[in-house]
Amino acid sequence: MTFAIILVLFAVVTLILLLRITVTRSLQLSSSNPSPKIEPIDIEAFRNLIDVAESEYLYHRLPAAEFRRVQRERLRAAAAYIRVAGHNASVLVTIGQAALASPDMQTAEAARQLIDRGLLLRRNATVALLRIYLAMAWPQASLAASPVLNGYERLSSSAMLLGRLQNPAVPVRISVRP
Amino acid sequence: MLQAHSFLWNYLWVAPNVLLILFGFLLWRRDRTQKFRAFLVFAFLSSLGDLAAYLADIIPSVTPTTFWRVIWVGLIVESILKFLVIGEVFSHLLNPYPAIARLGKNLLTGFGTILVLVAAVVAAFARPDSKFDIIFDAHIVEQTVFLVETGLIIFLFIFAAHFHLGWERLSFGILLGLGISSCVHLATWAIIANTNPSEHMRMVFAFLNMGAYHISVLTWFYYLLVPGRVRVKPGGLPPSADILAVWNRELERLLQQ
Repeated sequence: MTFAIILVLFAVVTLILLLRITVTRSLQLSSSNPSPKIEPIDIEAFRNLIDVAESEYLYHRLPAAEFRRVQRERLRAAAAYIRVAGHNASVLVTIGQAALASPDMQTAEAARQLIDRGLLLRRNATVALLRIYLAMAWPQASLAASPVLNGYERLSSSAMLLGRLQNPAVPVRISVRP
Repeated sequence: MLQAHSFLWNYLWVAPNVLLILFGFLLWRRDRTQKFRAFLVFAFLSSLGDLAAYLADIIPSVTPTTFWRVIWVGLIVESILKFLVIGEVFSHLLNPYPAIARLGKNLLTGFGTILVLVAAVVAAFARPDSKFDIIFDAHIVEQTVFLVETGLIIFLFIFAAHFHLGWERLSFGILLGLGISSCVHLATWAIIANTNPSEHMRMVFAFLNMGAYHISVLTWFYYLLVPGRVRVKPGGLPPSADILAVWNRELERLLQQ
């Protein structure tokens, strides 16, 4: 009986999710301004948060309890940055998909590169978030979120390239490591 | 109205299968058979299997044992084909995205394995709802197949939504139709296989299952015949250009720090 209840609940929740996904997809296609917005990221602050040297410095300087408290705060802040980076990657993947159908070969190739990098960043962001949530239980000296930062910078290059190809009249600078 | 062999009963058993055969021909006429080969085979074989079961039900000379054997053959063939269809849709979804294709396949394999184990545990604890093993076993297999199928389908939708992957219209429709049908079937078979309901309730569940399958077939027709809407763009720069401009401004700001 318990299994029956669990299975029925699972089926009902799944059915609701399916219908929600269908309605959301339909609304996105019919909306006149469906594109979500890019959210700005302070790359320097993000870089400091995931800096291993900074964490090790705090580890050696602070008492153990104080270090764990500070590190948890840093992890929370890093998680917020990673969530935004993942969201921005999704927005750029959507843009890349729209540009894939471009008749211009260079634009289509730039769009393909943007999609690939966006998806990799999204994947890395998901893994990094899982690791952060695990690390919050026992804060460590280091945080392996650098793939997200590096991926974000690579994604910026691809976005700039696609932007330049789509709008040659607008002056665009390619992202560089500051 | 909710009686065996009523007009509605006959309609719900026959019509979706006839429509699915018609759907297969339409797929073939529109040159989509290469892309949806597994679904085409599913459309023809599962319909023929269901129609064979219908004939076995209404022909008086067919014994109950023969009827259940026909049900068993149809169940096994249909289950294998449904998993092939899910695999086909998944490969269509991931093919344009090599960056996450491997991750997707690994996750699907892992999640599928967990689902099979969970389904096996659930099946092991089921109480016999019939004194005939051939009937009880069929109910357990139905529950197991629909549990794994529903789990895989919702995994695909969540995976695609998480990575914002673009769906090909018919692939989306095929998976949605299978999903609707499998959710309803899972709920009803879970109740039948675990709670031993009354004959009247079994009849209600049978109608519910047939109705859900009919809705699935109509969903497949909708996604095949009705063209998808094209995203409406506002005036001026396209939305992607606006977003890239914001992105650019943010980078400019960063470089000036």
